[in-house]
Amino acid sequence: MSPDTLTPARTAPDAAAAKPGALARARRRTLLLIAAAAVLLVLMAGVALSTGQVSIALPDALRALFGFGSASDVLVVREFRAPRVLSAVVAGAGLAVAGSLLQRLFRNPLASPDVIGVTGGASFGAVLLLATGASQALTPLAALGGGLLAAALLGAFAWRSRMAVTRLVLVGLAVQAGLAAAVNLMIVRFPAELAGQALQWTTGSLYGRTWPELWGAGGAIAAVTAAVFLADRRVAVLDLGDDSAGGLGVDPHRTRLGLLLLAVVLASLAAALAGPVGFVALAVPHLVRLLAGPPTPLALALTALTGALLLTGADHLVLHVLPVHGLPVGAVTATLGAPWLLALMIRQGRPPQRSSR
Amino acid sequence: MSATPAPRSAAARQVSLLAAGLGALALCAALSLVLGSRSIPLATVVDALSGTAHGADADVVVGLRVPRTVIGIAVGAALGAAGAVAQGVTRNPLASPTTLGINAGAGFAVVTAIFALGLSHPLQYVWFAVAGATGAALLVYGMARRSGDLDPVRLALGGTVLSAVLASWTSALMLASRRTLDEARFWLAGSVGGRSLDGLYQVLPLLAVGVLLALLVAPALNALALGDETAQALGVPVARIRVLGGLAVVLLAAGSVAVAGPVAFIGLAAPHLVRPLLGNDHRVLVPGCLIAGPVLLLLADVLGRLVARPSEIEVGIVTAFLGAPLLAVLTRKAAAR
Repeated sequence: MSPDTLTPARTAPDAAAAKPGALARARRRTLLLIAAAAVLLVLMAGVALSTGQVSIALPDALRALFGFGSASDVLVVREFRAPRVLSAVVAGAGLAVAGSLLQRLFRNPLASPDVIGVTGGASFGAVLLLATGASQALTPLAALGGGLLAAALLGAFAWRSRMAVTRLVLVGLAVQAGLAAAVNLMIVRFPAELAGQALQWTTGSLYGRTWPELWGAGGAIAAVTAAVFLADRRVAVLDLGDDSAGGLGVDPHRTRLGLLLLAVVLASLAAALAGPVGFVALAVPHLVRLLAGPPTPLALALTALTGALLLTGADHLVLHVLPVHGLPVGAVTATLGAPWLLALMIRQGRPPQRSSR
Repeated sequence: MSATPAPRSAAARQVSLLAAGLGALALCAALSLVLGSRSIPLATVVDALSGTAHGADADVVVGLRVPRTVIGIAVGAALGAAGAVAQGVTRNPLASPTTLGINAGAGFAVVTAIFALGLSHPLQYVWFAVAGATGAALLVYGMARRSGDLDPVRLALGGTVLSAVLASWTSALMLASRRTLDEARFWLAGSVGGRSLDGLYQVLPLLAVGVLLALLVAPALNALALGDETAQALGVPVARIRVLGGLAVVLLAAGSVAVAGPVAFIGLAAPHLVRPLLGNDHRVLVPGCLIAGPVLLLLADVLGRLVARPSEIEVGIVTAFLGAPLLAVLTRKAAAR
C-alpha cells in the first residue's frame, strides 16, 4: 500500500482540507507549532536545570550538563536536576502519545490510559514492588506488568463488546477501583514511611528520579514511541473504517490489538517514570487536534512535544512556583485538567434529546 | 419473574420477600456478633447481651461487636437507600453516592481538617465529613444544573471528575504531613470497626430525615422513570422531586461517610440486588434497599474479619474489591440492553 494514496482519503471528511492549499497550510502551521513547542521545551528545561536551592546561571547550567564548569554545579545539575527534567520530558511525551493513539483507535477523545485503568494498574505494580522491598531498578518492569494486568482485565470484561467506548470507560473505572482498593490496602498496612512513598506513586510525582530509572524506562519509552510513529500508517488505514481497512489488506482486529498493546506499554512505562500523572494523556491530544487539525505524523510529533512541555511545566510549578512544598505533580495536572475534561465530556456527553427545558 | 395472576398476590410476594430480607439481616447481624478474630459461641453472645455473662468474651461482644454491628446496619441502610434514590433521580443505573463525588468531598474535608486543625479522633471528623460531602454534592449539583433542572449525564460526569481532583488534593495533603498521613489513611479506608456509637448518635437526625425524604419521594421516582415529559404530564413536579431526592442522597451519604469513612459500592450494589427480586417500583425498592444495604455491608465486614485473621481488612476495602467486578458486570448488562 502506498502512503500517498491514503493521505487525501484520511482528511477527506474535513471539507476545508480537501482543498490542496489548505492541506499545505495546515502542514505549515503544524511545523511552525512544532518549532515553537521545541524552542519552549528547551527553554523550559534550561530554566528547570538552572533554578533550585542553588541558583545556577543558565549558560553555566547548560555547560554543567555536559560536564564542564565547577564541580558542585556539575553535581547538582547532572545528579539531581537533569534526571528529573528528562524524566518529565520523556514521561510527558510518552503519556501524550499513548493518549493520542488510544483516542484515535477508539475514535473518542475520552479514551485515555487514566480513564481505562492502565496507569492505575501501573501504579499498582509499582506499589506492589515497593511492598516486596525489591530493588527500585525493577520499577519499570513492575509498572509494565501492572499496566498489562489492567489491560488484560479490561479485555476480559470488555472484549465481546468489540471495545465500545462507553463500556470500556466504565469497565476501566471498575478495574481502576479494584486496583485502587489493592493499593489502599497496602497503604493502610504499610508502615508510615512506605505508605507515604506508595501514596506519592499513586498521585504521580517526579521526586527523586535517578539515572538508572531514566535509562531503563526512558529508553523503552523512546523505542515504543518510535514504533508508534512507524505504525502511524496502519492507524491511518484503520481510520478509514474496518471494511476499507480489510479491503486494503489490513486485518482490522489484529492491527487494533497490536496498536492497543503499544499504547498500553507506552502508558505503563511513562507511569513507571512519573506515576499515573492525571489528565496529560487525555488533554494533550485534544489540544493538539484543536491547534493542528486532523492527525498526521507531524501532529503526533507535536503531541509528544506538548506532553513533554506540559509535564515539565507542571513539575516546575510544583517545585518552584507554588508556595507548598512537596506537592505531587499529579495534583497540579489534575487541577488543570479537570475543568478541561469536564467541558469536553459535557460537550460530548450531551444526550441527543432532553425534554422539559 | 414468575407470572403474577393478580396484583394482590404480587403485593403479598413483595411483603414476604421483605420479611425474608429482614430475616437475612438478622442472620447477618448474628454472624457479625459471633464471628471475628475470635469466634464466640452464640450462647455466650446471647448471655452477654442479656447481661448475665461476664468476662473477656462478653466485653468483646458488648463493647466492640455490638457498636460495630449497629453502625454497620445504620451505615448500610443509609447507603442502600441513598443508592436507590440516586439511581432513580438520575435515571442512571450506575449512579451512587461514590459516583456523585460525595465520598471524595468528605475525604478531602476530613483530611484538610486533620492537616490544618490537628484533629486526631474519628469523633471529631463527623461534621467535617458532613460539610465536605454536602459541599461536593452542591458543587456537582451546580455543574449539573441546566435551566432549573438536573441533567443526569452531567451529574455523573461532574461527580467523577470532581472525585478525581479531590482525591489528588487529598493525597497531596497527606504527602505534605506525616501526621496527617498516619491519621487519615485508616479513616479513608472506610471501616465500621473501632468507631464509637457517639459518632452515630451525632448524625442520626441527618439519617432519619434522609430516610424519611427517600420514602417520601419514592412514589414520584416511579413517574420520573417514565421520562421527564411524561412525569410532568402526570402532574409530578419533576424539578422539585429531583432537588428533594438529591437532598435525601446527600443527607444519607454524608451521614454514613461521617460515621464509617468512605465505603464504596454498597449504594451501587443494593438496588441492583433488590430490583430482580422486588421489581422496579420505588415504593418497594427503597425499603428493600434499606434492608439489602446492611446485609451487604455486614457480610463484607464479616468477610474482612475472617480472611485476614487475626488481623482484619477494613470493610471499605472489601467492598471496593467485591464492587469492582460487580460494576464491570453491570456495565456489560447495561450495554447488552
